[in-house]
Amino acid sequence: MRRSLFGRTWPNVIAVVLFVFFIFPVYWMVATSFKQDRDIISKTPVFLPLDGTLDHFTTAVDAPNFWTYVLNSVTVTVGAVLLSLAIATLASFAIARMKFRGRKTFVLIIMVAQMAPWEVMTIAVYMISRDNDMLNSLLPLTLFYMMMVLPFTIWTLRGFIAAVPKELEESAMVDGCTRTQAFVKVIFPLLAPGLMSTSLFGFITAWNEFPLVLILNKEEGKTLPLWLSSFKTAFGNDWGATMAASTMFAIPVLILFIFLQRKAVGGLTDGAVKG
Amino acid sequence: MKRQLIAAVGVAAMVVGLAACGSDGKKSDGDSKSTSASAADKYKGKTLKVWLMTGSAPKGWTDAVKGDFETAYPGSKVDFQIQEWDGIGPKVTAALSEGSVDVLEIGNTQTAGYAASGGLLDITKDKAALGGDGWAANQNEAAVLEGKQYAAPWWVSNRVVAYNKDLWAKAGLTAAPKTLDELYADLDKLKTTEGVVDPIYLPGQEWYTYFGLLTGEGGKIAKKDGDKWVGGLSSPEAQKAFETYKKLQGYSATGPKDKDEATPQQKDVFAKGNVGAMIGLGWELPAEKDMAKDKIGFFPLPGKTADKPSGVFLGGSNLAVAAQSKNTDMAKDFLKVALNDKNEGLVAAAGNIPNKAALNSQITGDFAKAAQTAAAVGGITPNTPNWASVEDKPNPIKDFLTAALQGGDYAATAKKYDDEIAKRLNQKQ
Amino acid sequence: MAVHSERVQAPSPDAGQAVVAGSGTSAAGGGSKGAAPKRTRPAGGPGAGARFAPYLLLLPAVLATIGLLGWPLVKTVLLSFQNLNRRQLVMHLTEWTGFDNYKEQLTDPDFWAVTGRTVVFTLVNVVLIMVGGTLVGLLLNHLGKKMRLVLSIGLLMAWAMPVVAATTVYTWLFDQQWGVVNWFLDQLGWHSMADYNWLSSQYSTFFVVILLIVWQSIPFVAFNMYAGLTTIPKELYEAARMDGAGAGKIFSLVIFPNLKPFFLATTFLEVIWVFKSFTQVYAINGGGPENLTRTLPVHAFLEGSSGQHYGIGSAIAVLTILMLGALMAYYFRIMIKQEDEL
Repeated sequence: MRRSLFGRTWPNVIAVVLFVFFIFPVYWMVATSFKQDRDIISKTPVFLPLDGTLDHFTTAVDAPNFWTYVLNSVTVTVGAVLLSLAIATLASFAIARMKFRGRKTFVLIIMVAQMAPWEVMTIAVYMISRDNDMLNSLLPLTLFYMMMVLPFTIWTLRGFIAAVPKELEESAMVDGCTRTQAFVKVIFPLLAPGLMSTSLFGFITAWNEFPLVLILNKEEGKTLPLWLSSFKTAFGNDWGATMAASTMFAIPVLILFIFLQRKAVGGLTDGAVKG
Repeated sequence: MKRQLIAAVGVAAMVVGLAACGSDGKKSDGDSKSTSASAADKYKGKTLKVWLMTGSAPKGWTDAVKGDFETAYPGSKVDFQIQEWDGIGPKVTAALSEGSVDVLEIGNTQTAGYAASGGLLDITKDKAALGGDGWAANQNEAAVLEGKQYAAPWWVSNRVVAYNKDLWAKAGLTAAPKTLDELYADLDKLKTTEGVVDPIYLPGQEWYTYFGLLTGEGGKIAKKDGDKWVGGLSSPEAQKAFETYKKLQGYSATGPKDKDEATPQQKDVFAKGNVGAMIGLGWELPAEKDMAKDKIGFFPLPGKTADKPSGVFLGGSNLAVAAQSKNTDMAKDFLKVALNDKNEGLVAAAGNIPNKAALNSQITGDFAKAAQTAAAVGGITPNTPNWASVEDKPNPIKDFLTAALQGGDYAATAKKYDDEIAKRLNQKQ
Repeated sequence: MAVHSERVQAPSPDAGQAVVAGSGTSAAGGGSKGAAPKRTRPAGGPGAGARFAPYLLLLPAVLATIGLLGWPLVKTVLLSFQNLNRRQLVMHLTEWTGFDNYKEQLTDPDFWAVTGRTVVFTLVNVVLIMVGGTLVGLLLNHLGKKMRLVLSIGLLMAWAMPVVAATTVYTWLFDQQWGVVNWFLDQLGWHSMADYNWLSSQYSTFFVVILLIVWQSIPFVAFNMYAGLTTIPKELYEAARMDGAGAGKIFSLVIFPNLKPFFLATTFLEVIWVFKSFTQVYAINGGGPENLTRTLPVHAFLEGSSGQHYGIGSAIAVLTILMLGALMAYYFRIMIKQEDEL
């Protein structure tokens, strides 16, 4: 039954339809950003911007302090991701490999912590930062972004650590390694792909964050999401520039995904061998 | 560039003098020489943070003011920070609570709210020194709360009809309409003209135009009844204004009933060349590259009779000093420079209506001249601290317009949104 | 919510294993599933420092959680008992009002409407995401090498799109006049859609929001599903097929039991993520039309930050956390139980 209906063609046809469904919005964003204004505001959509323009990108880049925001975004995001990976590696090793009182409580806290609705806690975070004289600084942003992704990072890394066969670690210890050495020499290298793919989540969360930075950093400490929203001023949307900005905003994440995915899964194609 | 420099130097000399006599009554008027010398130095090494809204200050104004001030007070620095509209309310509140800003631009409809929050410095005593005696009364109204001056009016602007000259000529129209009936007749002609999609483009949520019509009818969007506010949409004036609005909006074939003028930007729609007219502000016009300036004509939205145009909403900005600023003297001196006749003239020259009627002669441009005619019959929103929350998303006036335009029962719809307006105006501080 | 049975357990490898993008597979070098449950010996030698080692390792995480999450959370709770509006914030005033903010919300029909809507919204999204993601995952497993790569690229792009950018693009795709969706529907012959305003009604707005969320969430589930599928030994399928099992039976007898931890963990995460989704709902239509698409986080933000009634906003925030907690209680029980079993 399954074979005949689900033969060779149908899965491929469905796959193509799904491919279009998933990629079209991304394509449309990129395409719009290259179009002339008259092709953007047009009753008949222009699918290929053949007489394209770079004007919208110029507008987007020429926005005041653009490069400062780029630097800020990169600093905050990379800082948050590295910090959370470091803290999470330690914690997840403990809960994956050790037995101790309070382990389950900690796991529960980590699960609950994932529920934290940060968007609605902004005012509390703001008041804490204000009262500690930490406004317009990248430090609190980095720390809070780190915290936003920490529970998920711990949770995920714990799975990766647990998945490393215990025997490998034990045999290393038989060979005279201390537990720390065994971790560094055996588990950590096996963990690298896990670390990388986990960092994707942290990266995308920190890269996107908007409500908190909006109120915390009003001057030099702004990040790219604020820049992106600046094209939607009270005077309406400049679609060309907004799409150009969105494209530029998305590119680092897209590149990172493609790069890390290949590393992490050992190439999307590898899986085919087993299938 | 060079001209600006000369102007700056000239004004700087003037400002030094002004600052000297303006620096309040404590010092004796006698030795103006030593006062001015120390006055010039007193802000050495200090930086004044000034928040302006994006798209607000005319081109060249910030440079001129910065140049003037820094020349007048050597060693001082003016740091203009341009703020985005997105989420501006909480952002300004936050900044006022921190004292991280010295001078800030505040929308005239929002000023009372910030004044009541305690975030703005009372500058009643400085009004005269800032040139306050010449301020237009209908502009200054929005800078005062309970008799105290909390801000200085900077400029206002109002909407006029911008029309596509080519299409109007094609429809055989030569003179600007003097009454609404004439306008309707013109729009009817445009409707049948080839190449016209919208005789006039007017989205359903352009509440500023509706507010203007309401003002013109002599109505109020909300009134104080005892110590409670009540919404005014149910009033007969409001209904009359709505009928006019509805009629105009009916000429807009593509104007969505549930969108405002920014989605899509009406200038983009207008620039397509198949729209007869739109109602907008100076900066809402298409860029030169999209539509040549000389193709666009202006007239104030006519009234029911020829003697005066329809009312308009006087949107604009005030400049205020933050109460928690550590540089309040410097901030006041900054206001003196920023609002002096020369710099205010730049505001007028850019097509805005300046804060003094005496400077109206400096208004340039067809748009501003049309706007100026209507400004006399302009009104502002109720001057009460909670007004800003009425404009918060979702703005009940916008939602009211959509609901009523979509055929909702007028009385019931008006009642519903009057309640919402009242609820917002009466909430506790 | 105090489930701490302190029984000492061997760590569970499964909860998070398949969770990120199928990477679990390669990290574990394949069937970790088989390796884990065998372990019965307690981990860690009884060395001198060993007793404190786990606590030392947890210390940074605990400190961070207390300082960076616990503190704002406590602060939010404190603020929820205050009358905190613009004036109080600017003037640094503290005005305690007891339970006023809560009373106001809990007696407000709007609040309950928003709450009910949020629950339905979450369920609809999660069901669509889980079903869609599972099917796409199965499809990935079924496809040839090349087509799998093609589809993976599509999924990857959608997944990697920053939410802020994706939301902007969707607004543009569904624009009433210039949006390509309306044009497309018109071309298909559905002419009444040529000028359809997607943001004019509650359901059509939700349609756009849900499509956006599902579009961006399916790849995560699909990749994980696929990664999980590759860990199921082929023999199991063959055995089932030999017993005459059809596609449905194979799923319920082979795939589902083997990937149960995956389904649990993914559903858990999706419920949380969807319930909390803010940017999508807020940016598409600001909770409109007429507040009819407000969900709890958006409601809290609009009342609190935009409306500058921070005390009320904080009260809604606390209620939001409680609601989500109640919604998740069942899950916590299952997952904690799972900790016991393994």
